[in-house]
Amino acid sequence: MIVAEQKPLEEIRRMITPYGRVLILGCGTCMTVCDAGGEHEVSFLHNALKLAEARSGNGTHVFSEYTLKRQCDPEFLELLTDKITDVDVVLSLGCGIGVQAIAERFQELPVLPGVNTSFMGMTKESGIWDERCAACGDCRLEDTAGICPITRCTKGILNGPCAGTKNGKCEANKDMDCAWVLIYQRLERLHQLEKIRRYYPPRNYRAIPRPKRIMSKTGINSGEENG
Amino acid sequence: MNVVNKGYQENRLERSIDHSLVPPCQSACPLHMDIREYVSLVSQGKIMEALQVIRTGNPFPSICAYVCTHPCEDDCRRSQVDKPIAIRALKRFAVEFGGDRMIEAEAETKYSEKVAIVGSGPAGLACAYYLKKLGYPVTILEAHTEVGGMLRIGIPQYRLPREVIDTEVHRLTRMGVEIRTNTRVVSLDLLFELGYKAIFITIGAHQSLRMGIEGEESPGVIDGATFLREVNLGLKPSLGRRIAVVGGGNVAIDAARTVARLGSKKVSILYRRSRVEMPADPREVEQALEEGIDIRYLASPTHIKRENRKLNVTCVKMELGEPDESGRQRPVPIKDSEFTEVFDTLISAIGQAPQTPSNFGVRLGRGSTIQVDPSTLTTNKAGVFAGGDAVTGPATVTEALAAGRLAAFRINDYLQHNYPLPVKEDEEKLSGDLLPATIEMIRKIERVEPPNLTLEARTQDFDTVELVYGWEEAINEARRCLRCGVGVEILFQDKCASCLTCLRVCPYHVPYLDASGTVHIPADQCQACGICVDECPAKAIVLRKSFDRHHVTEELGYAIKSAGESKNKPLIVGFCCQYGLFGTGSLARLWKGAKAGVWIVPVLCVAKVEATHMLSAFETGAEGVFIAGCGEQCARENTAHWVQQRVEKVRKVLAPIGLEPERLQAFALGTTADDPAEELDGFVDKIGALCLASALKQEVKS
Repeated sequence: MIVAEQKPLEEIRRMITPYGRVLILGCGTCMTVCDAGGEHEVSFLHNALKLAEARSGNGTHVFSEYTLKRQCDPEFLELLTDKITDVDVVLSLGCGIGVQAIAERFQELPVLPGVNTSFMGMTKESGIWDERCAACGDCRLEDTAGICPITRCTKGILNGPCAGTKNGKCEANKDMDCAWVLIYQRLERLHQLEKIRRYYPPRNYRAIPRPKRIMSKTGINSGEENG
Repeated sequence: MNVVNKGYQENRLERSIDHSLVPPCQSACPLHMDIREYVSLVSQGKIMEALQVIRTGNPFPSICAYVCTHPCEDDCRRSQVDKPIAIRALKRFAVEFGGDRMIEAEAETKYSEKVAIVGSGPAGLACAYYLKKLGYPVTILEAHTEVGGMLRIGIPQYRLPREVIDTEVHRLTRMGVEIRTNTRVVSLDLLFELGYKAIFITIGAHQSLRMGIEGEESPGVIDGATFLREVNLGLKPSLGRRIAVVGGGNVAIDAARTVARLGSKKVSILYRRSRVEMPADPREVEQALEEGIDIRYLASPTHIKRENRKLNVTCVKMELGEPDESGRQRPVPIKDSEFTEVFDTLISAIGQAPQTPSNFGVRLGRGSTIQVDPSTLTTNKAGVFAGGDAVTGPATVTEALAAGRLAAFRINDYLQHNYPLPVKEDEEKLSGDLLPATIEMIRKIERVEPPNLTLEARTQDFDTVELVYGWEEAINEARRCLRCGVGVEILFQDKCASCLTCLRVCPYHVPYLDASGTVHIPADQCQACGICVDECPAKAIVLRKSFDRHHVTEELGYAIKSAGESKNKPLIVGFCCQYGLFGTGSLARLWKGAKAGVWIVPVLCVAKVEATHMLSAFETGAEGVFIAGCGEQCARENTAHWVQQRVEKVRKVLAPIGLEPERLQAFALGTTADDPAEELDGFVDKIGALCLASALKQEVKS
């Protein structure tokens, strides 16, 4: 799941200043699960913005709200066509993908990001999310006992641990487990300690061009240019 | 591309629909009363409203408040946690404090068809009440000198004060019901000749069953129904010093306790089974024992011999054998266990049957009961309906009231030539036991019993034994209700992102994941605390009852509207739990702006106050907002924690708007020894200071 957090209210208020009619648009999937932009947060933000307008005494904005099931699919975005006829800007509480999908679909309509898309991760417990994947496109979890050193090691090193590990914790943050200690311990439990000996040469980032595209079907129109 | 989902819009409309399920108490009630609703109203201190709910479901709530056998309490699911809610006692409280005596029932005559009701017992009175409400001229014909049937001549005064019956009968006559006492009906045909278009026979079951033993005809042996009738009609039969009562039902207990009040020294009840099998109300049995009545279990008289004006009663001891068709163990005599005791009087109360005059021409069934169609109450004679004990054999007052009500509607159908509609069972009933994990998390709160008259005072006279609750006791008792069937549901499954928040925040472990990965909140387990409603990030969860869904928003609207008309500044909005503390009125001076500028929004548990409600309060002009829950007194789990979470969240956005976070505060009142009103006064003063400071700042700027 993609994890994000809502931008501070001041920043959102600054962004919408030039516009009059604002549609606050939620996303019903990842942003709902990580409490950043589901229907609940949309209505909370809506109320907070209205309150800010009322208190500042120069309220000029008109707000409306709506939540799509997913902002990153063109079919869902079609549901917006009659919602945006009388708005000046969409304040998207979708992740960065959602914001761009809207920008792509509605060429004339400004769109603003209401959240800071942060990482791909999982729920630790109610209200806490942790990063787990960097989407590097070259998964090595087989050799690291299902623990990703790229995301969970502060330095992202592939042949760890570094000299900063102490009592199983990271030198950058004493409360954080050293990913490489975790990998070692789990490999030991799995009787696969020999895997720790494997050496990874430095990654060739030039070999991973961006933006990436995946095509799962053959013989289809390869689409327009990506990006 | 046509992908617009119409269903989404339609789902939104569902918001106005009530999805609450019928709770077990209501299913068990013969009158199908909305018990959950009136108990909830009592718990909020809304006694008049509670009485209104009671009156819509019950023609004579004041009578039921005294004598109902409360099958609702037997089915109450709170008994799985600790003890059932004292529903009857709460009804009594609502009736007495809500001003039931003042209520005028009104009815106008719309139809010309006259209806005769034979018998003025509870079924007859109820039928008259509803027929009159429907608009028919009604005449009640009563053979005895007094109106009320078993209510008056069967139930002793200490259980049902006579003023209560008088009030209800008076109300009926004010409505225009004609009541003729001393009028024994001998022929139904004559009634039809007199112009009545329909007849309801409700003659009760007054004929005592015979014990069928030798010496039963001896002077000094009297049957229970006759005895109670004589006492209740004001006679004082001379009984002697040693009295035996045979039987284990309510009549036997009533007779024994009546005897005790007439000054007899020693009263013994002879019952052939053990205490567990006794059909009498356990509370009545307990009170009888308290009053010094001796109960001999597993004893049955076999013959009576009268000598020297005394009765020599020979009894045999019994043991319990195989269960009989009633499910109770059959008593079997033990050989050579006979013993003889001497009594002055023996009262036999082993059951009663109706005594229907044969020239009524109605078909009789088992135990001389009148045979009727159970759904229409029609007999084999056209235009003749029957109900109450005459049809069922001895049963409860509430069942008789239900039969009377049914008869009224069916007689209406008959007279208006409506085809009786099949009873629609479209209501969804709540069933199923609470799960152990849920039971464990429900706070145990002791059941408060209403006080009783002191033991000494009891046997002196026929004063009512059970007294009424005080205000605070009643509210605390009503707060124990689990509000079965009005919890939450995932109404918008299409919106549910399966984030599992509900499953994580529920204090009662109610939501669960099924094998396919779908989240469910089972209605029979939900405790209706409302925490998950505001925690759900998809807003997919709603409270089942539409009132609960809109309550806070509506109340906030009213408070703001009234505040707008007031000149008191600064405006402070307080979301206050309507249960407990506020319901009992200990914070009455905070209500409705009594303290300058404070406007209370009553909420049914602070867990239902959402973050957006707090923002709305500020937006509509509040300078300060507080949330006051009942702290440790709260009947629900974890509510204060979630309120605090929401307060923190709102505080984070207050600062950038230019409002000090201290302007929003949550209180758990009643947890500390401090005076709750003082705590809030401190807050009010602080808001005043903050407003003054910001006004000064403004001035300096300009």
